[in-house]
Amino acid sequence: MIVDFLVVGFSIGLVYAIVALGISLIYSGLDIVHFAHGEFVMFGAFFGLVLVNDSGLNYPISIFLAMIFAGLMGVFVERVFYRRLTSKGGGYTVAGMGMIICGFGMAIILQNVAFLIWGAEGHAIQVDFGTPLKIGTVNLPKSYLWILCVSVTLMAVLHFFLKHTKAGLAIRAVAANKDIAYLMGINVPLMISLIFGLACGLAAVGGVLIGPINYVQVEMGYLILIKAFAAAVVGGFGSLPGAILGGLMVGIFETLGAAYISGSHKDIYAFLLLIAVLVIKPTGLLGQLAKSKA
Amino acid sequence: MKKSLNCLVIAGVLAAGSAWAGEIRIGATMRMISENGQKYGEMMQDEFAAINESGGINGHTVKLILLNDECKSDKGVANANKFAYQDNVHLIIGSTCSSVSLPIVDVTAQAEVPQIIPHSTNDQITRKNSAWVFRVPISSRYYKGVVSKYLHDKVGDQIAYVYASDAAAMSETQGLIQQMRDVYGVEPVYEAQTQEKEIDFRSHLVTIKDLNPDAIFFGGLQEPIARFLVQSYEVGIPASVVRAAGSAASNAPVPKLAGDAVKGVFFSAAYSDSDDRPIAQLFNSYVRSRYGIKGVDHDFSQAYDLIRIVEIALGNADLSLEDDDLAADRTAIRDAIANVQGYEGLASGPISFCADPTPECRDGNRTPVLIQYLEGGEDFKVGILDRVTMPVEFGL
Repeated sequence: MIVDFLVVGFSIGLVYAIVALGISLIYSGLDIVHFAHGEFVMFGAFFGLVLVNDSGLNYPISIFLAMIFAGLMGVFVERVFYRRLTSKGGGYTVAGMGMIICGFGMAIILQNVAFLIWGAEGHAIQVDFGTPLKIGTVNLPKSYLWILCVSVTLMAVLHFFLKHTKAGLAIRAVAANKDIAYLMGINVPLMISLIFGLACGLAAVGGVLIGPINYVQVEMGYLILIKAFAAAVVGGFGSLPGAILGGLMVGIFETLGAAYISGSHKDIYAFLLLIAVLVIKPTGLLGQLAKSKA
Repeated sequence: MKKSLNCLVIAGVLAAGSAWAGEIRIGATMRMISENGQKYGEMMQDEFAAINESGGINGHTVKLILLNDECKSDKGVANANKFAYQDNVHLIIGSTCSSVSLPIVDVTAQAEVPQIIPHSTNDQITRKNSAWVFRVPISSRYYKGVVSKYLHDKVGDQIAYVYASDAAAMSETQGLIQQMRDVYGVEPVYEAQTQEKEIDFRSHLVTIKDLNPDAIFFGGLQEPIARFLVQSYEVGIPASVVRAAGSAASNAPVPKLAGDAVKGVFFSAAYSDSDDRPIAQLFNSYVRSRYGIKGVDHDFSQAYDLIRIVEIALGNADLSLEDDDLAADRTAIRDAIANVQGYEGLASGPISFCADPTPECRDGNRTPVLIQYLEGGEDFKVGILDRVTMPVEFGL
């Protein structure tokens, strides 16, 4: 039975991980916590819903297009609504605090926009994954395999992009020090938009992957966001490998906790883990590595 | 200048007051955040508008003030207070959700406004013994009786229970567990309450799969029910394990969202889409054509029955509808509803009330129907397994 639980925990953990990756990416680039990030998970899921159910596109193309649409939406939101604040810096500055409040406000606005378009009820992304794979006594639904393949591919592509391309190098330079990046001739505002686009695109993928399992609805974003935040903190805020590790740990820990302690208090386990990690290592598990952000 | 302004204000207030006189004011608070929820509200508005168009009730028009409580207790209580003390309504209808209706019972008892409930099933609502409360739907105490008997006689005693943290789901499931324990001496093989807004039930389901029960019962609102059913197949619980659900499984989004996973699921409700009575067929086609709803669930029929019962009671009440007589009119309406006996409408059984403020008198319908999904998806199909009229004191 433990293998079943690990499969479930690993699959949901991967979703937390890719959402946490986006949160950490924004934090590492801008020193801000983006509280509207869950709404990009939700919008991505709705984009996937429209693409699969209404446009009849297949699942992988829908994931890709939802990522692009949500990425563009993220760029738009950053350029139009956040730019005045992001250009003034993040962290413990007035603009940084303003950005947090702005994120809350944006979350409410996006939820209401989604409510007006799609209503409050849940929708199923109609993907026929076929019968689950049976490996011994373990049932492995193909939706979990999709989560695994897409998440791992995205993580690998993101790693390659950040470490082996000029744009990735520019993002890392902006993350390290915006002023010096300016002096080096990097288009910092463009890089900030790129960071937002990438992060929101990742969030959208999380939404489309979880959509066929948990359904798509207006309030789905914040439910995933709180776990993804926990994952980002457990792994070390701003650390991309930490976000992945944190996501997997939160997913597996909460599933095992629900299974062997009490299923009625499932949300507690993620935060117990968070507290335990912070007590032992306040910077998060890979927080030391976050010194060289992104 | 100031004096004339004061006169104008007083004249305005008096004019507003006289505009109220002669009309019956009804406040309705409902969960109108889903497509079906909005349609229930729409139907209520349409039906009262139709009553007004046909001359009103004893010549009085009905003014319906419809508010959305989003199934949130704080909003429902705020709506009820507004109705009772600002709008000075004669009657309050609401709410859809038990967790909202329960606190409203205290508001209406204190304000002495009659309250008639369209959808909430939690048995505690009438156990508060308020003289001002009437329930059109079936109480969870009756549901647990019919479901437990079916499970014990036809399915088996190894049952796993999972329920959401809303008041209706908790009362329905905990009541069922207690009933199985008291009557059949059976303990649950698994029992868990999920967290509020939980969307991932797989950790419960993997544990249940290992226990290999005869049946799984899930209590919750429609979307969690659909999620639970789909995820039960994902983790590999075979179709041979019977799936049962709370009365919210009657709501059309369940088969639409759950698709094939809903096939074979049984639940108890107050009305079935497949009811072959002519009145039910007529109602189904009316709702389908007017509101574009494919599956007519029991929340539609209960809202409709409620309107008819209110119409009968208001017709029988001796109302002055003067502002000074508000308390007397409210009492007259309460007594008129209490006098409704043997109302035969769309509900699975006759609806009767009486004067005592007890559950025996205020739980109007005591005939649950056992229903099973035969097909899922948009064009779902259901079949009736059984229809049982419970003894009036059952479950008390």
